[in-house]
Amino acid sequence: MVSIRIRGLVKRFGDVVALDHLDLDIEAGELFFLLGPSGCGKTTLLRSIAGFHIPEAGEISFDKQDVTKVPPHKRETAMMFQSYALWPHLNVFKNVAFGLEERRVRKPEIKRRVEGALAMVKMQGLGNRKINELSGGQQQRVALARALVVRPRCLMLDEPLSNLDAKLRIEMRSEIRRICKDFGLTAIYVTHDQKEALSMADRMAILDGGKIAQIGTPEEVYRRPQTALVAGFVGETNLIPGTVQFESNDHLYVSTPLGDIVGQCSVPNWSPEPNEKVILSVRPECLSIHTTPPVQNAMKGYLKESIYLGETAQYSLLAEGLDELIHISELNPRRVIRETNEPFFATARPEDIVILPAP
Amino acid sequence: MSRRVSIFIYVITAVFFAFFFAYPIGHTVKEAFIGADGGITIGYFVELFQNPIYVEGLINSFYMGLFTTILALAIALPLALLSNRWQFPGKSLLNSLILVPLILPPFVGALGVRQFLGQSGVLNSFLIDLGMMEANAPFDWLGEGRLFGIVIMNALHLYPIAYLNISAALANLDPAMDEAAENMGCHGIRRLFRITFPLIMPGMFAGATIIFIWSFTELGVPLIFDFSRVTSVQIFEGIKDLSGNPFPYALVVVMLVATVMFYLIGKALFGRENMASSGRASTGRVLQKASPLVATVCIGAFMLVTGIAVLPHIGVVLLSLSNDWYQTILPTALTGQHYTDALGHPLTLNSIGNSLKYASLATGLDLVLGVAVAYVVVRTKLPGRQLLDAMAMLPLAVPGLVLAFGYLAMTREGQPFDFLILGENPIVILVIAYSIRRLPYVVRSAAAGFQQTSVSLEEAAQNLGCHPIKAMGKVTLPLITANLIAGGLLAFSFAMLEVSDSLILAEQQQHFPITKAIYALISSLGTGPNLASALGVWAMVFLAITIVGAGLILGRKLGALFRV
Repeated sequence: MVSIRIRGLVKRFGDVVALDHLDLDIEAGELFFLLGPSGCGKTTLLRSIAGFHIPEAGEISFDKQDVTKVPPHKRETAMMFQSYALWPHLNVFKNVAFGLEERRVRKPEIKRRVEGALAMVKMQGLGNRKINELSGGQQQRVALARALVVRPRCLMLDEPLSNLDAKLRIEMRSEIRRICKDFGLTAIYVTHDQKEALSMADRMAILDGGKIAQIGTPEEVYRRPQTALVAGFVGETNLIPGTVQFESNDHLYVSTPLGDIVGQCSVPNWSPEPNEKVILSVRPECLSIHTTPPVQNAMKGYLKESIYLGETAQYSLLAEGLDELIHISELNPRRVIRETNEPFFATARPEDIVILPAP
Repeated sequence: MSRRVSIFIYVITAVFFAFFFAYPIGHTVKEAFIGADGGITIGYFVELFQNPIYVEGLINSFYMGLFTTILALAIALPLALLSNRWQFPGKSLLNSLILVPLILPPFVGALGVRQFLGQSGVLNSFLIDLGMMEANAPFDWLGEGRLFGIVIMNALHLYPIAYLNISAALANLDPAMDEAAENMGCHGIRRLFRITFPLIMPGMFAGATIIFIWSFTELGVPLIFDFSRVTSVQIFEGIKDLSGNPFPYALVVVMLVATVMFYLIGKALFGRENMASSGRASTGRVLQKASPLVATVCIGAFMLVTGIAVLPHIGVVLLSLSNDWYQTILPTALTGQHYTDALGHPLTLNSIGNSLKYASLATGLDLVLGVAVAYVVVRTKLPGRQLLDAMAMLPLAVPGLVLAFGYLAMTREGQPFDFLILGENPIVILVIAYSIRRLPYVVRSAAAGFQQTSVSLEEAAQNLGCHPIKAMGKVTLPLITANLIAGGLLAFSFAMLEVSDSLILAEQQQHFPITKAIYALISSLGTGPNLASALGVWAMVFLAITIVGAGLILGRKLGALFRV
């Protein structure tokens, strides 16, 4: 396992800047996620680390060694491709053995390790199968075995679960995490599925426009997003524009179309001045719904829609002066409010209201 | 379309193929096994294999096919690999130029080669000028290695088929297959052999099969090079005394059996069909921008191959322009006379008209049949439709010479189909022969069109009250026009260039198509070869336009037209 250090990485495709002076540190043994909307550069970053793209500028190091100019076949990474890229002219055993043969491992050793790898992904005894005789889930596990059997310095996974059905996907999440942790692998995992990232990652980076918008643990990213984009991309959120009034005891008082709201700001190196424009982010599950005005952070609106989902009830409020509906999610609802077009109040605790710079 | 119409199309096509594909072949096979007493015998084959001349012919034919195929692949493969990987200046132009050799009838090119390599040809004159050869003892390049000359000529003509097939196979390959190998530490040549080649083998095999069948039975080039020790020429010469001579029949049968056998062996060795890529491609293939050095290598390789391949064409052009070109490097005097003569000569003017007539009629027939067959195969669930598809593709696998011979045999006087020769006029049988041979191209391009055009477009029209047949005419056909034009152009240009049928079936001068006229002119004395060249150049210019047109319309999909 290696630690990976990236400094000032630039990659262009024609006029499109895919990676824009990107810096990133991944620690040894970490299961690190790259997340972001499509076109954000996450696959380009992964492929640059694997060596399939040569960056125009910047540096990639494994441990202390500069690998920026090292071709892919000498990087000793192992990539699991989105399409799996299993070779149809070779059977399962030969596919898995390929990397070991390239590393000039001796025959008996190859046999032992391939069988071990196939057993690990629960594919023992299927070595003679042809690739096109396997189901999607089996192919995915062969691809994983092929990547793991070479004991890579870094494992790369490019949306490895995107071709699987929902049930298998959830099963494989914990399976992949278990294998990475058992081997102590440094692994980089690209996905656009935020649930996958939140449930599996040690740390994650959210990319936007070829830059890193935020890095952190799943809790940090979810609870303390640092931009409106991150807040909206990881999980659902309500974004409310406002103007800062004053600060007091680590709390910011902001005037919004809904009235005055108290929240907290946790963006490093940023403390907004009075009269500065900001955005407030409140998760639906942080909001609660009331018939009478609460003491603090009262947001008045008319109930437009209520949906009962069993474990939650979801409400949409139309507030005066705001274009978007406010979404509220109530856990374990005893009674669902059905009186639409009646006035209601939503509120949230100040520590659940995140104040972000206006874009 | 209603099931009844589909069945009708099926039956019509099947009957057409039974009469004009199965019957001529069957008739030839039958004749080869019937002895002088009317009983069944294998005596002709025994005699044939005891005759050293025929055995040598078969061996030479095999070498001709094998070496042509190997050489064509050796030329095409590196070019296809370069083009698949690198982006370099002028690539699209070079990519079309590389296909140009396919458009010249190779036996006209052979005329150019003779001009270059003949005893008093350009190469010898050049060597004599350099003082490397005695002027009074010129080396006979073609005489010493005629098979070699034929192989080079054929390979330079046919490599575009390999190039198109390999390019298409490479384009269909998921780039992640190669990347996964790189990622596992497998690089360069080693990766080519372990991953890339095995995966594109079916595409390569498809191209190789066509080239092999084509060159194994090639008639035109050996005829011009005066090389009679190959089976195709032996059959052609045997036709002159067909009545009472059973050996041409037996030779045709041997050739047919050999073709099928080589095809099956090749298919078993290389053509396994488990190569379909699984999953969807994760990344589009991004062409690497070539560094100046690599770009130079790429451009150089493309120009070199194209340059060598068009040398015969240049020879033909020069020959057509030359007044006097003998024992010199370049013609000593140029003239445009032959072009006007070529158009004024009764034989040539007639032949152009005839060829246009035959080829247009054949193309029309192909379009009607091709669209009908493709529709049944792609759009209906009729049982046995795959069989119809296979049947329509079969003419690619059967040597043109075999079919031509079969047509000749079945329309001889006293045979049930002799009414097809309308008072010595071969137009009906030639049109049928041309259309059967070229039907696969039209079926393939029409089928590709139907596959790309969602059936729901037609359903939407029906849903809005349009009759199914009218819906097809108003919606689908306009959408697949490009495919039909491309397939039709190819069918048309190959019909214009057809050699075996034309040489064998057209017997009267006033009915000669272009190819037979060129052949007749070459054999005549005086300015005959120059006139033949001029006629060849007219044909080249004409066909260049059609092929480039087809290439522009179909793009990379052009390769799909050359698969069995």
